[in-house]
Order: sequence, then structure tokens, then C-alpha cells
Amino acid sequence: MIEVSGLTKTYRVPVRPPGLAGAFRSLFSREVKEVHAVSGLDFRIEAGERVGFLGPNGAGKTTTLKMLSGLLYPTAGTLKVGGFVPQERHPSFLQQITLVMGQKQQLLWDLPASESFELNRAMYGVERSEFRRTLDELVAMLRAEALLERPVRNLSLGERMKCELIAALVHRPSVLFLDEPTIGLDVEMQVQVRQFIADHNRASGATVLLTSHYMQDIAALTPRLLIIDEGKLRYDGALEALSRQVAPERRVVIRSVVPELLALGFEVQGGGMVATVPAGETNGLIQRTLALAPLVELGVEMPPLEEVIGRVFREGRPGGKR
Amino acid sequence: MRALRADSASQIVHALRAWPSIQQVAFSGMVAYRAEMVIWVLSATLPLVMLSLWNSAAAAGPVGGYGQVDFARYFAVNLVVRQLTGSWIVWELNWNIRKGELSPRLLRPMHPLVYNLCETFAALPFRAGILVPLVGVLALWRPELLFVPSFSAAVGFGVALLLAFVLAWTIQAIFGMLAFWFDQSMGFWSAWFALWAMASGYFVPLDLFPEGWVDFFRLLPFYSTLGAPIDVLLGKASMLSVFTGQVAWVVATGALAAWMWKAGIRRYGAVGA
Repeated sequence: MIEVSGLTKTYRVPVRPPGLAGAFRSLFSREVKEVHAVSGLDFRIEAGERVGFLGPNGAGKTTTLKMLSGLLYPTAGTLKVGGFVPQERHPSFLQQITLVMGQKQQLLWDLPASESFELNRAMYGVERSEFRRTLDELVAMLRAEALLERPVRNLSLGERMKCELIAALVHRPSVLFLDEPTIGLDVEMQVQVRQFIADHNRASGATVLLTSHYMQDIAALTPRLLIIDEGKLRYDGALEALSRQVAPERRVVIRSVVPELLALGFEVQGGGMVATVPAGETNGLIQRTLALAPLVELGVEMPPLEEVIGRVFREGRPGGKR
Repeated sequence: MRALRADSASQIVHALRAWPSIQQVAFSGMVAYRAEMVIWVLSATLPLVMLSLWNSAAAAGPVGGYGQVDFARYFAVNLVVRQLTGSWIVWELNWNIRKGELSPRLLRPMHPLVYNLCETFAALPFRAGILVPLVGVLALWRPELLFVPSFSAAVGFGVALLLAFVLAWTIQAIFGMLAFWFDQSMGFWSAWFALWAMASGYFVPLDLFPEGWVDFFRLLPFYSTLGAPIDVLLGKASMLSVFTGQVAWVVATGALAAWMWKAGIRRYGAVGA
């Protein structure tokens, strides 16, 4: 469904020294700096996959999504989405995709969201009966019945995002590019949006490529990860495999504080205790723990995803390329 | 080439099918911004101010062949042409490009310029609705300005008005697209507007200028967007020369606009996609 090879994007950004002298100098000679936003990306995504696209700020995630959706022209490399070259923006290609940007909106600001939906219906040439059916489905999934007739400017951030998602999906695209769709939303709304994306993917079989700063989005939605940093692909593979590879330790967690367990390497954290050990030593630690405190409530966890990803960024490419 | 023609034809069919919904949404937008819209439209009624000036000047006798009724007729038609050829695309494109708001429009399977054209057409009934009372008041003030044009003048006026609309819209689009290259591109538009107001016949009927200047001004695009349809309706210029000039400018500016769009969209990422 998505094929990317050697994808590169270099921006030429004007640079101006600060102050009046700098402004005056820039009148006569304009200095331009090259910013390599994306450098030689290669990956392939099959139809129906859900893939998380992770990276620190400025890593090149949004630039890549914009190239995949045809908004930006690549400087080099090739890419195909659903058999189309995105930057040609063929109408049949645009019918297949959607791009939701958490920080930009397509809804008409001063009109009720229903007007934007109707506009999209007309623009995408969706038959009215099919539109009605899709809209009813989307509205029910997002529990957005009360939002449709209120001017967009009067909606909260989370309500607006629900309407953005509806507007983006009324033409039933087969490829969803989601750029931080949960940014700025409260926890409850994040859960709703996450659930909606998962349900929609299951029901429609659409391919999903999602960027997010919230690791819960990634953990809940995308079995496969692409990690990008400084425009280069650092990891492409399963989330679990990454955890095993980068953080091969486990956290043994006890829900209460038992002072005797300090001797086994446990540390007090909040109202409980935690010990971090290599995965192979987990069973031994559990046996020793239960020998000292047979009645404790005990669990084993992978390291938090934030920590795993942080290590990839700090320590470089883990070598997990598909 | 055949594929290009097929694409263009399918875009037109698509736009026609989408037209009622675009019209409805654009009208809702105008209702939401009704106060701003009325002020915008009224701001284009400068011909009425110019009429009052020239009316005073002609009180003692005709000025350059124009009596008070001639001025009233000229500026009434001027007002109509100005309103019916107006659009907001220069401001919209400029804003959308600089703020990255072109992106959602680029993602839809309708060319953003075709969409804007639909929106501009959608505003025409609103503009016409404001024109009717204005012209009505003028006619009450000076009933002699009303006249029945010949059939050929009426048809010629329709054609010249349509060409003027296309040309004015294309020129605005060109200035709007300068935002792909310049941060403060509206300065170019302000300079253009100042020249246009002088050389299009907006402030002064062009035949009040010295003879050499009139011929020169009639060769420029400014005239084709405003003075040309007025002159056709009032029988002051040959239709053939007017249409030839208008078509030439439509073709030239259309080619430039198409090139600018193609080149500009490649640069779009650099300015805020």
C-alpha cells in the first residue's frame, strides 16, 4: 500500500542575523541554510497495517506524512501510496487518503461542523445515501451527536478533534495519515479517540500511519513502529521486539512495602516496591521474593515505553530493521 | 495532452456536481460574516463618491463631452461591473499559503482554484442583492441615467463582463500566489490596485485623458477588467477591439497563473505547509 525508497527532503531556509544591521545586510545578500528534514527513508507498509511513527520534535515525522499525502515534493527518492505518486495529487489518489493534523484544522471555523461535512461530501462526490450512512456510523462511534449543529468555534479542543476525524473520514479513505490526533486532549478524550481509531481500522481495514508524542497512543494502536530521528530511520519492527532488544530487563512490582525485600534489590516507589532485573533473572527473583514474603501481591512489567524509546534516541539505531 | 483534457473535463463536471453544496456552504459563510460582507461590498462603492465629484464638476457644463447624466450613467455601470467582477481570492490565497491553510484544500479532490472560483460565483447573488438598492437610489436621484441598450450592446456587455470577471479573478490569483515566494506579497497588490484605479476607468472615464494616453491605457490589462465592459454597453469602443484585448489578456494571465501555481506549489513546503 505504501512504498518509500530513499525518501529525502531538504528545506532551504533563509537565515538572517539578528538586529538592524542583520536586517540591512539581508537586503543585499540573503544567506540560505539547508535543513535536512528527511534523509534516505526506506520502508513499506501493507494494506490494513497500523503503524506508529515515532521521533523527537524535528525528527522528520510530519514532513514524511506530508510527502506521503502529496502536500510536499520530495527532494529525492521515490514513494508510492496505493499505486499513486502522491505529489501528483491525482483525484483518485486524494479519494483514497486522508490526513488529520492535530495542530491544523479543515473545519470551517464559524459554521456548524455539519456544513464542513456536507462540503466534503460534495468535494469527494459521495452519494447522499452513502454519506448519511457513513456519517451516522462515525457520529455514533465518536458519540458526537450533540456537536454537529454548533459553530466549530464554540467546540472544545476534544470536540473539534472528533469533528475533524468525521470530516476526514466521510469519504471512507483506505489510508489514514494521523499526525498527533490526540495532542492537547484530556485523558478521557484521548481514550475515546484511540478507541475510535482502533474500531475504525477493524471495521474498514484501512491502513493507519500515526504519529504521536503520547506513548499510550502507540502502545494501544500500533503493533509496528517506525522510529525516526534526525530524518533517518532508526527502527522498523514490532513494539515488543524493540522492548526486548533495547530494554531486555523486567520490572517486578509489589503493591505494598515490605522492608525485608530491600535486601533483594527492591526500591520503594509510591505505595509499593519495584526491582529491575534482566529478563532471565525474573523467575529467580520472584521465587526469592515469595520465600521472604509469601502473601505479597506481585506483578511483572516491561519497562515503560517512554523509557524504551528514549534509549533508542540516546543510544542510536538498535538494528531492528525489517 | 488527451489525459490533461480528460482531467480538466472531469474537474469541470465534478465542480458542477458539487456546485449546489458549495453554493449553500458559501452562502452560510456569508450569512455568518454578514456585517463584514456588507462593509466589504460597500467599500467597493467608490464610484459613487467619484460620481458626486464629477457631478459637481459638470454642473456648469459638460466636461470632456460628459454631462451630468453621462457621468451618472458611467459610474452606475462602473459600480455594477466592479461588483460583479469582484472576488476575494488575492486575500484568501495569501492567507492560506502563508498560514498553511492551503493544505486541507490541497488534500481534496477538487483543485483549490476551482473551489475558489465556485465560492466567488456563490457570492454573486449576495453582491447583486446589494447592487439593486444602490442602483435604485441612483435612478431615483437621476432617472435619466436609465436607458435601454441595443440588443447587440447588451449581449456584448454580457460577454465583456464575463471576460472582465475571468481576467480580474486571474490577476487577483496571480498576486495571491506571490505569497509562495514573498512574505509580504500584499504590498505588490496595493501597488497594482493604485495603478488599476487610475488606468482602468475606476476614478475617471478613460476618454477624459489626453488622446495618446487613452489608446495606451486601453492596451493595458487594467482597462480590460473594468473600462472595457462599460465602454461596450455605452457604445464608446468597438466590441472587436475590446474582446481582442480581453481575450489576449485572459490567455496571457491564465498561462502565467498556471505556471505560477505549478512552480509555487513545489515551494509550498518552504512557506508553511
